[in-house]
Amino acid sequence: MTEVRVIENQRHFGFGLLEVSRRLELLWMLAQRQIASRYRQMLLGVVWAALEPLGQLLMLTLVFGFLLKVDTAGYPYPLFAFAGLTGWWLFSRNLMAVAGSLQDNMSLISKVYFPRLILPLAASVKELFDIAVMVGLLLIVSAIYGYLPDFKVVVLVPLLLSAGLLSLGIGLWLASLMVRFRDIRPMLGLILQAGMYATPILYSPSLVPERFQFAYQLNPMYWVIELSRWALLDKPVVIAAPFYWSLGVSAMILASGLLVFSATEKIAVDVQ
Amino acid sequence: MSSNSEFSVRVEGLGKRYLIPHRHKTAGRMGEIAAHLREFFPFMGRDERDFFWALRDLSFEVKPGEILGIIGRNGSGKSTLLKILSGVTQPTTGRARLRGRVGSLLEVGTGFHPDLTGRENVYMSGVLLGLKRQEIAAKFDEIVDFSGIEQFIDVPVKRYSSGMYVRLAYSVASLLRADVLILDEVMAVGDATFREKSQRNIEKLASDGKTILFVSHNERAIRNLCHTGVILQEGESVFQGTADDAVTKYRQLLHQYDISDVKEEATRWDLAEAPRHHASGHRVISWISLHSADGNETNLFRTGEPMMVRIGFKNSKVDKPYFSVIIHNEFAEAVATVNSTHTGKPLTAKTDGVIECLIEDLRLGEGSYYLMVDFGFYGGNRLTTTSYDCIANAATFRVDLNGYVAGNGLDSFEGAVHRSRWAVSPLV
Repeated sequence: MTEVRVIENQRHFGFGLLEVSRRLELLWMLAQRQIASRYRQMLLGVVWAALEPLGQLLMLTLVFGFLLKVDTAGYPYPLFAFAGLTGWWLFSRNLMAVAGSLQDNMSLISKVYFPRLILPLAASVKELFDIAVMVGLLLIVSAIYGYLPDFKVVVLVPLLLSAGLLSLGIGLWLASLMVRFRDIRPMLGLILQAGMYATPILYSPSLVPERFQFAYQLNPMYWVIELSRWALLDKPVVIAAPFYWSLGVSAMILASGLLVFSATEKIAVDVQ
Repeated sequence: MSSNSEFSVRVEGLGKRYLIPHRHKTAGRMGEIAAHLREFFPFMGRDERDFFWALRDLSFEVKPGEILGIIGRNGSGKSTLLKILSGVTQPTTGRARLRGRVGSLLEVGTGFHPDLTGRENVYMSGVLLGLKRQEIAAKFDEIVDFSGIEQFIDVPVKRYSSGMYVRLAYSVASLLRADVLILDEVMAVGDATFREKSQRNIEKLASDGKTILFVSHNERAIRNLCHTGVILQEGESVFQGTADDAVTKYRQLLHQYDISDVKEEATRWDLAEAPRHHASGHRVISWISLHSADGNETNLFRTGEPMMVRIGFKNSKVDKPYFSVIIHNEFAEAVATVNSTHTGKPLTAKTDGVIECLIEDLRLGEGSYYLMVDFGFYGGNRLTTTSYDCIANAATFRVDLNGYVAGNGLDSFEGAVHRSRWAVSPLV
């Protein structure tokens, strides 16, 4: 007796992870496709992946390190900035990719059914792959400056993963909202830029006045970046109450993002 | 088997509505935003005017091994139905049950990426359609063989010709081992050889007990391929039956024919109030009558003998008019077009009058026919016709072959009748 598939208006919604687990092969192939198409069509594929961040790092070092002479408590500026930027790049790129994943793949989702959550997940896998290239670069730069990585660098893995999950959570919210309100997309770049300055990436968090520190540290990305620096440069960091708060907030964003996404992906095709 | 296990696809009361908040402009931009929000938050109250029903209360059942054709004009809900059945979008009401694995091909080449090679794309789209890698690997050679592009399989598909692209894409989908296969307009792809090949493939799938739902505008494809048919009109099913009947009915609907209200005995029809084929606003043609060569009214004609059509017209203001008589068979296929421009002489038909058209030898096969009358302007630099008034199904008549040709004769759907001579000579 073969299985009967029933198609009707479903009102229940959940995280949608069980469905995805049945189609892991598709998830992997979609991620692979994105990675392959990025690196294959360009002659210097992997080189570009390294050149772009290095170029940006050079410019930021010139402006903030040499001209403005930002206080980094003695750490060489390029390394200080790079350690912070790695986590932020993952966060911002993944956020953009996840937020746009439904719309960018409209031609696909309007023609064939598969668990829609696979699309943002595939985007995240691709961004994680890109960031792995970046981390390799970071370790080289760090060694050049005499900071030989020790066992602590393994902390980077859970740190980057949590940055990825947080941006996935926010991205899922945005992807859901963008189904109806496309106005969000142009605003996103601006918001991300603001987020970059609200996080201690290009400057040291000690610049922020003491009375704002609690609120400042509620930003989950604060912890990702400060802990990255701890792992790489041995920069001291004090785990305070906001750390636990931000963990809780991140988990809630991710969970609610999954729920909202599973509710709105059902109408995404209808309102394209 | 219990009676419950006999269906392969069962659709019950299926309906789909879309939100179209732009409809009432009075509310302005804010009203539009509010309508969007109402979609998310039902408690805000909904306005029925905001919705459009693309599909309404549709029910049908398909048995294993059956090929069901779904016919309808653009916007009749065909694609919406297939989208619901393939799971791309959810129905608003009702439900559909499909037994076994469902494979859908709503568009040829879904999921193909131009930068990937043919081989990679075969795997990609196979996995996308729900197969496992090993299953595709097992069928890979068959797929490539069916598409006939072995030598290019490792070339990025962006370098393919559009024919190659489409053949490869179709091969992947058609060789899926799905129990229910949903195909949308796929027969339009490839050249004649490939079309024939895919048609045979579909027939083979059906004889293996697979079920196929097939949407097409191509009536010939539906008639050749399908067993049963459903006609959709404005989201509702207006006919369900055999594929042949469905195609005939569909053509009649297209031409506004309704066999049931044709008066078999009539020889003269008042057309002043008849429905027009297009909305030009002109109502020039007022009646039509059919006559035999001696001028007597009749609706029974003999092949090879003359037929006279008289058309009454009123308030014609056209300088250079034309009249045209188009004959359709029972399948609503045009079998003859007789145009006043064929005489090569200009026509004057001002104000009111009667125009007479004598067809010298009616070379139609045996059967019933429907007459369409067209009137309009003929001229301009490039001698084109512009229709002002056109009535489909203006008159009905029957044709009797009456021994014009011998043997097994010729029916209304077999084309024009020709007398012929046949001779056999020995090989030199």
